[in-house]
This record gives sequence, structure tokens and C-alpha cells, in this order.
Amino acid sequence: MTVMIDLKNVSYRYPVSDDFVLKNVSFSIEKGKFTAIIGNNGSGKTTLCNTIRGFVPHFYKGDLEGDVIVDQTKILDYQLGQLGEKVGYVFQNPFIQVSGVKDNVFEEVAYGLENLGVPVEEIIVRVEEILKLVKIEHLREKNPFELSGGQRQRVALASIIVMDPEILVIDEPTSQLDPVGTEQIFDIIRLMKERGKTIILVEHKMDLIAEYADDLLVMHEGELVMQGPVREVFANPEFEKYQIQYPHVTEIALQLQKMGTPLAFLPIRDEELAEALNMTGVKIHD
Amino acid sequence: MKQNILLQLHPLTKFYFSLFILVIVLIIPGYSFAFAIFPVLVLIAVFAGVSKEFLSIVLKALLSVLIIVFIMQMFFYPGDHVLWNWGIFSIKQEGVDYGLLLTSRILAIGSSFILFFRMTEVRDFVKSLEDKGLPPMGAYVVLSTLQIIPEMKRQANTIMEAQKTRGVETEGSLLIRAKAFIPTLTPLILSSIAGTEERAITLESRAFSAPVKKTSLHQLTKSNVDRVLPIVYVLIIVGLLVWRFFL
Amino acid sequence: MKRSFKDDFNMMAMLLIPIAVAVNLVGFQLANVLRLPIFLDTIGTILVGVIAGPWVALLAGLITNLINAIFNPVYLPYALTSMAIGVGAGYLSKYGFFKKIPKTIVAGVIITFIAVIISAPITVLVFGGATGNTSSLITATFLASGQQLWTAVFSSSFITEVADKVASVLIVYFIVKGMSDRYLSKMNYGHLYMKRNNKK
Ligand SMILES: Nc1ncnc2c1ncn2[C@@H]1O[C@H](COP(=O)(O)OP(=O)(O)OP(=O)(O)O)[C@@H](O)[C@H]1O
Ligand SMILES: [Mg+2]
Repeated sequence: MTVMIDLKNVSYRYPVSDDFVLKNVSFSIEKGKFTAIIGNNGSGKTTLCNTIRGFVPHFYKGDLEGDVIVDQTKILDYQLGQLGEKVGYVFQNPFIQVSGVKDNVFEEVAYGLENLGVPVEEIIVRVEEILKLVKIEHLREKNPFELSGGQRQRVALASIIVMDPEILVIDEPTSQLDPVGTEQIFDIIRLMKERGKTIILVEHKMDLIAEYADDLLVMHEGELVMQGPVREVFANPEFEKYQIQYPHVTEIALQLQKMGTPLAFLPIRDEELAEALNMTGVKIHD
Repeated sequence: MKQNILLQLHPLTKFYFSLFILVIVLIIPGYSFAFAIFPVLVLIAVFAGVSKEFLSIVLKALLSVLIIVFIMQMFFYPGDHVLWNWGIFSIKQEGVDYGLLLTSRILAIGSSFILFFRMTEVRDFVKSLEDKGLPPMGAYVVLSTLQIIPEMKRQANTIMEAQKTRGVETEGSLLIRAKAFIPTLTPLILSSIAGTEERAITLESRAFSAPVKKTSLHQLTKSNVDRVLPIVYVLIIVGLLVWRFFL
Repeated sequence: MKRSFKDDFNMMAMLLIPIAVAVNLVGFQLANVLRLPIFLDTIGTILVGVIAGPWVALLAGLITNLINAIFNPVYLPYALTSMAIGVGAGYLSKYGFFKKIPKTIVAGVIITFIAVIISAPITVLVFGGATGNTSSLITATFLASGQQLWTAVFSSSFITEVADKVASVLIVYFIVKGMSDRYLSKMNYGHLYMKRNNKK
């Protein structure tokens, strides 16, 4: 397995912040893995994404210590423009995340490909495919400024994955979406994983993380406090300390455990609950 | 409309035409020729199917200017041939002549630019300039300005309404009205500026500064007419210059 | 790092231009709606000059007039005035004129002079002395009372401009005060106005 993203003792401070916002963060992500970053507000998740995408320090400046290595090359040795092809970045605010010069969604999604110099015929084919994939074909003639938050989030995601980057960094892509829209986004992310993309996702919806993600990074006040396979992290008693939500079923299972019900293992997906209880011989139905 | 030959001309062909009008109006002395240009422009507007917008903008933008300019010259341009006299006011022949010259030129040049923008989408014009070497950032700035303006106007209205419901007065004495200005404009500016950082990131995420030559879904075509017309303009101008200065 | 800091500045600065232009237009519209006796149509240009420097402001001024000229070509020759106002505001900012209110007012007066010196010749040469705005009336009055054309145009445009420009610079002053360090730190001249001093 090749390492795609590698951070070694990374600390970072924005030019105007007093404290370090990232403190001595180290981890590595293998090619093709789906890693979720979780943590409370202000814990540094977005900053971490910016670091992987090279906006820290290329754009934000400030003091960066340690090494950030993306696909075997130090981030400092990339040009900002080069990283655009390698790392796709969908960020938090869907309202600003439009090019600001396109009249309709089709052209909006095509914008990145135009900038990459892709031939026009190919652009049209690729955009058509992505519109279908992200289920926004019906929006193609709409002005990006007239879309709802959820629609914009999908357009933003489409605009990035159409560029076919090897790495996808996605910061809270479902904040404006209802449960159905959220499921759809996760479906697309899963599809991207099947296509071999390396995915980094910031998300608060733990049930979905438990269902789809491979690994978990837990941020707390700028420190990377826990990391590992999703199941292991949730099962670690230390997790409770950071006051981050558990998946629903895990929450319930932990309650049951506290009340004396033995568990075979800690379930993190809904369908595992019965199994976790059954194996210990507790009968749900008499 | 789509089939209109005039509208289908390359943006630069149309733009050069406006410049052509500007140059010939300045070369040819006197006001009769410059005044004669206007009916020609109206005719072009009719053929292009934009006469209504054209005339309404000419009226709105130029009429008052033309009247004021003419009156000013009529009364205040220095000269000896007094045509009419009333107290300190007097109309002089020289003033009338100069007034006609100025207004004829303003009308011809001004309306030729108005006509240009009635016949050309700004987006197409910017694209044509980009093809001529305008940097992508420059094109971006102009296009994004055109998108931001209506957006900001809408937001300004929203903020004004919100101010009113919160009791900020927008009627009354000058001081009261002036006081409403700052709380409306300031939040608008600050929030727009706060968005620039993310806009910059968006552009980078869309490979705006990728070190390759961009392609474009939007292509302009040049017909033979587009190749010939600019040459015709130049020949006419050269001819006029020769006639004016060497014959 | 191959891409220089300067490039990033440029991107942020360039993105300010559309905002500046829109602010100019919205300011003008708002002044109209509120029936204020001044135009307030250069706030965006001056603001950009103050935080991003003279050259960005020059572009903002130019584009403002080009866009206005789409509907009214009379604006076209006055693009020179807008550009000069931007450059002036930029240099005044560089030399610290927008840090305190008194100096800001001085800056407003200097910008008025710049505007008048550039616009009066345009008014005289292109439009023969009047274009039909408020200052035309004053110009006519001066002319009728026997003044020379140039003096009349200069003085009338100074009278109409000075209140406008002083009000505009004061508004800019308060807007800059309200900007957070986070954004100021990204602007060419932002460090001049940051509340906490940047270490670098
Ligand atoms: N551009 C910036 N300049 C200065 N400080 C910043 C900047 N962006 C973020 N910060 C600060 O850095 C810290 C971490 O912010 P960050 O946005 O990375 O957190 P987050 O985990 O993504 O939070 P959220 O869940 O709210 O999105 C916060 O204290 C924030 O105020
Ligand atoms: Mg965040």
C-alpha cells in the first residue's frame, strides 16, 4: 500500500492567531482509504484540510512547522495550481463556493475543466456524466446564484469530482442537506472510493461515518488525539472524554452496557446491534 | 433574432465600428456630418432589432446632456456676432456653432457606443478581448463584477428593509436619512469582503491558476465579413486623413 | 514555494475589485434612495485604494466607469477621474493618511483636488463646461457673473465634490475600522490598519 498523505509533527498558526491551531499533528493515509475527520467546532478540522490541500501555508501564510507530504512530494515544493489537479477540495460554505462568472450549472461544473485546458468535446461528456452521477441534471440551466444551500452543495461537489482528482478533501458536504440528500452524497463518496480515490471527509453525522469510512482522525483543540480504524476509535473508552457524538446505535449499546447488559462487541452500525446482543445469549424476543 | 446578421458579427467587428465612428467624427470638420451619423445608427439599430432599447437609452442618457451643453455654449461661448440679447444674457453665433459641433459629436460618439452594447453581450465582448490577450484574471474580474452588482443591490434592499423594521429611519430630515446610509452599506461591504477569502479558495480549487492554457465552452466565430470590415474601416480613415491634411 | 506571496495578494486584491465596483454603484443608488445631496459613488474605489493600494484601486475606478458607460457613455471620459481618485487614495493610505480622523479629512480634501483637476478639463474640453449635473448650474451662475470658463468649472466642481469626498473618506475610515485582522492581513496595505501588530 502506498502512502498518499503523510504529516509529520505538523504545527500551524494563522498569521493573526495567537495560539497554534494545529499542534504537532502526525498521521499518514494510504491510497484508496476513506478517512473521516471528526471533532468539535473550532478544533482545527478545516485547518487540517487546508493544510492537506496546500492552502496552508501557500494561501493563508502563517507559520507552518513539520512536514506535509502529498503523494511523495512535500507540499512546499508544489505550485498551488499543480495541487488543484491532484487534490480536489470541497469546502464548508456552499454559498460562496461558486465561480461567480457562470450563468448556469452546466457551465459552472465545466469551469474547472476549462481551467485545466481539457478539450471542449471531452468537457461536455464528463460534465454530462457527473450531472447524472450527482443527480443534478434537472438544475443544468439554473443560475448558480439561485440555488438552495443543498443544491449548491451538490453543485460544488460535482464541480470538484468532475476534475477527477486522486485525492478528495471534503469539508462538511451535507450541512445543508436533508437525510435523503445526505445519503445521496455518501453514495457518491462511496462510488469515488470504489474508483480508487483517497478520501478525507469532515463530517458530524457519525452514523454515516460508521457505515462508510475506513479510518477516523479525532481532533481536539488543535491536537490529533485519536486515530485508527473507525471501529477501534469508537470502541476506545478514551473517545468519551472528547464529548463528541457516538453513532446512535453505539450510544444505545453503551447505555445498555452501563445498565449491566453484556455486549459481545461494541456495535457501530444499526444492523450490528442484534448481533452484539444475541451472541451473548440475551434473547430479544421470547 | 438569433439569425440576425448584424448581431452575429464578431464583437470586435462591432466594437471597431464604434471606434471608427469616433475617429471619423473627429476628423471631418463641421456638425452636419456628425449629425448625419445618428440616423445611420438608428437604421442599424432597426436592422439589428434593437431600436427600442437603443432609442430609449439614447434619450435617457444623452438628451439632457445635449440640451445643457448646447444652452451653455449658446450663452457663454465667447463671440462677437450677437443674435439676441437680454440683460446679461446674450446668444452669439459662435456659441450656437460651437454648441452644434459639440452636441453633434457627443450624439454621434455616445450613441455609437450605446448601440454597440445593445448589439453585443458583454460576456461575448470580454471573451473577444480574452482571445486578444486580456489575462484570464482581467476577464474574471469584469464578468464577476457583472454578476455581483445585481446581487449586492438585492442585498442592499434586504438590509434596508431590515433596518426599517428595526426602527432605523430612512425618511425625515437630511441628518436622519444620512444616518441610515452607514448601517446599510457597512455590513454589505464587510460581508462581501469576508467572502473574498473563500472565493479565492474556490477559484484555486477549480484550478484557476493551473499552469496550462485554458479552454472554453464558449467560442466566438469569425466570418469573412469580420475579417474584411476592419480593413474597410482603416482604409476609409486613411482616405479621410489624406483628404483632410494632404489635399 | 514557487508561487510567490505576491501572486496570492494579487488574487485577493483582484477579487476586491468587483466588490469595490458594486459598492460604488450601490452607494450611489442608496444616496439616491435616501435623497442625499451627495453622490457617494466612489466609496468602493477609495476603500480598495486604502487597503489594497493604488493600482488595484485604479482598476476598480476604471471598471466602475466602463460598466456605467454601458448605459451612459458620458461616464466614459470620466474614467480618468475615477482612476486618479483610486491612485490618490492608495498613495495617501501608504503615507498613513487614513489612520486617524483628522488626517482622513485632509485626505478627503486632497482627493477632491485630484478629482477636480482631472475632471474639470474633461468637462471643459469634451462637454464645453457642463454635463447637466448639479455643478452645471453653479458653473452657469459663475459664468453669468462674469467668471472665466475654466475658473467657473474648477470652482463649481470643487464645491460639489468636497462634501462628497470628505463624507466618502470618513465612511471608508469607519469601514476599515470594522474590518477584522484576519482579512486585513491578506491585503497589501492591511497591516497598516490591523489592531494587533503583525509579527512579520
Ligand atoms: N483564516 C483564519 N485566520 C485566523 N484564524 C482562523 C482562521 N480560520 C480558522 N481560524 C481559527 O482556527 C481555529 C480552528 O478553526 P477551524 O476552522 O480549523 O475549526 P473546525 O474544526 O473546522 O471548526 P468547525 O467545526 O466550526 O468548522 C479556530 O479557533 C478558528 O477561529
Ligand atoms: Mg470547519
